[in-house]
Amino acid sequence: MNQPVTFLGRAEALIGTHEADAVDNGVRNFLELREKAVEELPALADLRDRARAIRLHALRHLDRLLAHFADQLQAAGGHVHWAVDAADARQIAADILQRTESRLVVKSKSMVSEEIELNDHLEALGLEVVETDLGEFIAQLAGDTPSHIIAPVLHMTRQDIGKLFADELGVPYTDDPFELNRIARVHLREAFLLADAGISGVNMAVAESGSIVLVTNEGNGRLVTTAPRVHIALMGMERIVSRWEDAAVVLETLARSATGQRLSVYTNVITGPRQDDDPDGPEELHVIVIDNGRSQILAGETAEILACIRCGACLNACPVFRTAGGHAYGTPYSGPFGSIVTPGLHGMDPWWDLPFASTLCGACEEVCPVRIQIPKMLLQLRRQAASEGRLPGWLEKGIARYARTTVEPARWERAKRWASRLAGVIATDGWIRRMPGPGRGWTSSRDLPRPAKESFHDWWRSNRGS
Amino acid sequence: MDRDSFLTRVGRASLTSQLPDSPPISADLPELAAADLLALFRSRSQTVNAVVHGPVTRHGVPRTVTGIATGHNASSFMAWDDLPTPGVTSALQAVGMERIDHVVPLGSRIEHNLGYRDVGVGITGAEVALAESGSVVLVHGDGRPRMASLVPDVHIVLLEIERLDRTLALWAQKNPTLVTETTNLVLVTGPSRTGDIEQQLNLGVHGPRHVHIVMIK
Repeated sequence: MNQPVTFLGRAEALIGTHEADAVDNGVRNFLELREKAVEELPALADLRDRARAIRLHALRHLDRLLAHFADQLQAAGGHVHWAVDAADARQIAADILQRTESRLVVKSKSMVSEEIELNDHLEALGLEVVETDLGEFIAQLAGDTPSHIIAPVLHMTRQDIGKLFADELGVPYTDDPFELNRIARVHLREAFLLADAGISGVNMAVAESGSIVLVTNEGNGRLVTTAPRVHIALMGMERIVSRWEDAAVVLETLARSATGQRLSVYTNVITGPRQDDDPDGPEELHVIVIDNGRSQILAGETAEILACIRCGACLNACPVFRTAGGHAYGTPYSGPFGSIVTPGLHGMDPWWDLPFASTLCGACEEVCPVRIQIPKMLLQLRRQAASEGRLPGWLEKGIARYARTTVEPARWERAKRWASRLAGVIATDGWIRRMPGPGRGWTSSRDLPRPAKESFHDWWRSNRGS
Repeated sequence: MDRDSFLTRVGRASLTSQLPDSPPISADLPELAAADLLALFRSRSQTVNAVVHGPVTRHGVPRTVTGIATGHNASSFMAWDDLPTPGVTSALQAVGMERIDHVVPLGSRIEHNLGYRDVGVGITGAEVALAESGSVVLVHGDGRPRMASLVPDVHIVLLEIERLDRTLALWAQKNPTLVTETTNLVLVTGPSRTGDIEQQLNLGVHGPRHVHIVMIK
């Protein structure tokens, strides 16, 4: 990958492009829909507290819940596999597919599958892997990565997609969304019916019953887990709740926060493979429980981020995400929650700068259906980055000097007078239009009013002081 | 990695975990203002682009279903074996519609699956309808194919009027073990939809384009 290695580098390449504009317009719509859905149901405030309590409880007892889940699913005829890292998970999935002589694999949307880069691995083994979520299908055809966890091709226009379909699927060019939808339906329907295996994610597992819950709007999540003979579900190890009633509470908050729907179109609860009296459904069900850095997060200060239910509301609310777009984060997990998850899963190197891609305005925490304290954890990670000596020297020294200055009145007075004099030199007509040094970025899109000649302290002393 | 080592790692991580305290919550779910469940269900179904018919008498169900199916120019259908009222499948066959076999053979199933390519209508019952979200709950199992609500262009749900509840959370609390008793349970909230292309609403992307709910008196 030839992309820049810093958030700033990636963001600067994106800002001002139609991709960033399309993302901003798109998420504005999600935000409005979410607000309506939240206001309509005052009881939702209580449901959010419940959802938070349910998720935190699950994290506190994660090992016990996972053990119970596995026992129950096995009793229902399913198989549970344990993957400590991405390579492990890929190997397990590949082994199942090879043992079952699968060649064509259909997939529904799964963030974990992006995280462990499953498609490339399976394709290298000669398997044909087809993404079936419309957005993911388009991204796969384009050789692109999804830019938003709920709306993967938010960054593409209908013309982009029309041209892509014409080039890749050999159909006449059209940019009518309805026609594009129809083309994809016909193309993918064939894949569903012919597929040997289906791979899905897991929105939530239920420990008490051994069930997995999958939520989709398009129905591809149901087809992937019903039509083929083998179903493999990839599950991040934290996606679990104790009981079905708990899952129901979380589901009530999930769709409202994500897209403003009261419930997603399909909530699919799967408890084991097809039984003797079932007329259809997969004959084999395999759930791969994946750690891949999650126990490292669980053991530390940012454990709370594992309560996330992946609704995407924090992305939509975040001014930085809206300006830069999902690709600026350089990982499948973008936006505020991603800036905590990514360094947690993959280490601070090179991801230490993601927690700085935030204004700490708190909009993310405000919209979070499980009220995760995102800004607090972003600050913790910033502190960690600083203590590991990752900040540029000028920033580190500058902040240290600033801290020394603010605690000593005489020094503060001197600095103030010095700054005011400097401001007088660089200001024109009472405005500073270009600050020197690191301040340049700040003034590239705004002007700073020139500070008053007399400071408030001085004014107070000469007018009110005794 | 084997199960025990995996879970031991997780347990060890929990020991140093710094999770915040949980918010206090009451035992009961929050009270909702009283509502006419049928009226609410009707209006919320409309929001999600589903069409509610009736209530019709048990006697009138076959005619209503046939009317919907022929209105969509369907020539074939799938149906659950235990629909809440009799006479529906024979009425459809009487107007010349072909019934598609829904029992998938064990082993290779591709040939059978290809028979699903152009199914017109799928007819199912429902365990309950949830008024607040306009959803129906389908409990699959013996004689109840999952595909009937998934591959056809039109999904017709037959629902007895007393099978109405308010929200998913309330209903789940009253039916805590249902998911243990069935391999597959699905909540359907309107027809299949996507907004993936420039956020334009598009119905029937993979599942049914039309959902009709026939209420039975």
